[in-house]
Amino acid sequence: MEGLLFNVNNGYIEGIVRGYRNGLLTGANYTNMTQCETIDDLKLQLGPAYGDFLASLPPNPSTSTLAAKTTDKLVAEFRYVRANAVGSLAKFMDYLTYGYMIDNVALLITGTLHERDTRELLDRCHPLGWFETMPVLCVATNIEELYNSVLIETPLAPYFKGSLSHQDLDELNIEIVRNTLYKNYLEDFYQFVNSHPDMAGTPTAEVMSEILEFEADRRAINITLNSFGTELSKADRKKLYPNFGLLYPEGTLMLSRADDFEGVRLAVEGVGDYKSFFEAAGLGGGVGGPGNMAGGSGSDGKTLEDMFYQKEMEISKGAFTRQFTFAIVYAWVKLREQEIRNITWIAECIAQNQKERIGNYISVF
Amino acid sequence: MSGAADREAVFPTRQSLGLMKAKLKGAETGHSLLKRKSEALTKRFREITRRIDEAKRKMGRVMQIASLSLAEVTYAVGGNIGFQIQESARSARFRLRTKQENVSGVLLPAFESYLTEGNNDFAMTGLGKGGQQVQRCRETYARAVEALVELASLQTAFVILDEVIKVVNRRVNAIEHVIIPRTENTIKYINSELDELDREEFYRLKKVSVYPWKLRHAAHTAQVANKKQRDNAAMDAEMKAKREAKAALELENGAPEEVADATAGPTDLLAAEEDEDVIF
Repeated sequence: MEGLLFNVNNGYIEGIVRGYRNGLLTGANYTNMTQCETIDDLKLQLGPAYGDFLASLPPNPSTSTLAAKTTDKLVAEFRYVRANAVGSLAKFMDYLTYGYMIDNVALLITGTLHERDTRELLDRCHPLGWFETMPVLCVATNIEELYNSVLIETPLAPYFKGSLSHQDLDELNIEIVRNTLYKNYLEDFYQFVNSHPDMAGTPTAEVMSEILEFEADRRAINITLNSFGTELSKADRKKLYPNFGLLYPEGTLMLSRADDFEGVRLAVEGVGDYKSFFEAAGLGGGVGGPGNMAGGSGSDGKTLEDMFYQKEMEISKGAFTRQFTFAIVYAWVKLREQEIRNITWIAECIAQNQKERIGNYISVF
Repeated sequence: MSGAADREAVFPTRQSLGLMKAKLKGAETGHSLLKRKSEALTKRFREITRRIDEAKRKMGRVMQIASLSLAEVTYAVGGNIGFQIQESARSARFRLRTKQENVSGVLLPAFESYLTEGNNDFAMTGLGKGGQQVQRCRETYARAVEALVELASLQTAFVILDEVIKVVNRRVNAIEHVIIPRTENTIKYINSELDELDREEFYRLKKVSVYPWKLRHAAHTAQVANKKQRDNAAMDAEMKAKREAKAALELENGAPEEVADATAGPTDLLAAEEDEDVIF
């Protein structure tokens, strides 16, 4: 039923995004890239996919400029899709950008807290998280002003409302602000895809729920693992867990009580995927242990983070098997982001002559 | 005398001889002390050079690991978190203590690094994702900075020691090749001058004791001759004394006339006195 009128409004977008998906680098491309001796060789290998964006780079560019240029391509394509999107798809794509906006706002708040010139920071903001009123944030000179007159005008205002007051911005660690916002954002997004009349009950809701639930669980687990040894109390930690996901509510409750890696492992045991991740990571000794003192994690064992990325990519890849869904836009953006990370990683390994770990990229095609 | 330039400008007196001898002794003691200092410093210098070599190799390895771990952070966080890190760092966690080490009188600065406890400023960075990588990266960079500090301390010591060793060696060489030979030359010069003075003085004294004796002898014989051939004898004695005096004067190497003039005055006076004595 949902397919009947989908193409009237969104057929073009779907076609474009599927085309973009076919332009993603494949396993064979990655294999070729790992054989490169210099960054210039790598640039050559990226030619078919990124040719016009990399053309302006000087010979032997740094890895960060390479990453910036590849991001530019993603941004350009995203803006094109966004410009052609109408109706609920446009709204959906706006939701997609809120995640980046949170990062940008957090950056600007940090700048304001430390009384930096926030105009300099605008360049550092992620272009996908750009919103029209963002430069206005720079007008605010103190945090109260920022909260009362500026943040209210941003699309993120609902996420501040109710959970953060301007006193919180002063006292709380910016990371807690960021994660609180992100939690509210995920919950709102989840609510949006499951309740909007255009999406509820369609493949969009199905796929997006899976993706967002995974994202929520991943954040909960990561926050728990990363908070060990910091002054973040268990009660505060619990407030940062999104209120949905495969782990919710029993798993998150157990997570909030976990004291160590073992506690987290017990908490996620109810979900098969996470259980196997933790078993693999536990055997590899990569995460949760005191850390590999020789520097860097072991070269063979995958870290928990790697496995989460792998899982995310698989879900995203799976999204393309569905027809008539907005979720492919989300999946495409995530896949492209991973691709940029992979390219940066490979370029970094080549630049630093550390070929033994060059295979740590994640490729699903 | 060999080259007056090679000795110090002193009057050849006994006092300055004493001074010079003390100076030579001092120079020799100083020389041996400085030589020992230079050896101690050189030993230390070699050790530091070896340790710098090790530290540099270690730094290469550590920096490589550290930059790879930074790449890992970029991969895990998926963006640039440099600004967040900079802004959330409030007080230094990695600090330095400076000490001074005394190596045979040279003060070498030594840097010692330590971590302040309970200072975990950006512990929550990357809370959502990548936090572990951030922490690990911090640990590896702390080790990298440690290696750098060690290297810095060694390099500073290296530079300072290098300079001090140069100065000490210059001093050793100056003492060995300039001051000691010059002092020795001066002593030699003073000795030879004093010897000459001694000889002169000795001869003069001899002369003073020989001349009146001759005169007395002559006068005595003349009296004994009963004044018979007084004129003749007196003439004879006078001639004889004169001859004797001339011969004695000729014995001396120096200018005979001047010395003769100089000695003539006192000898005459003496002779007159002696004469009176004798007559008495």
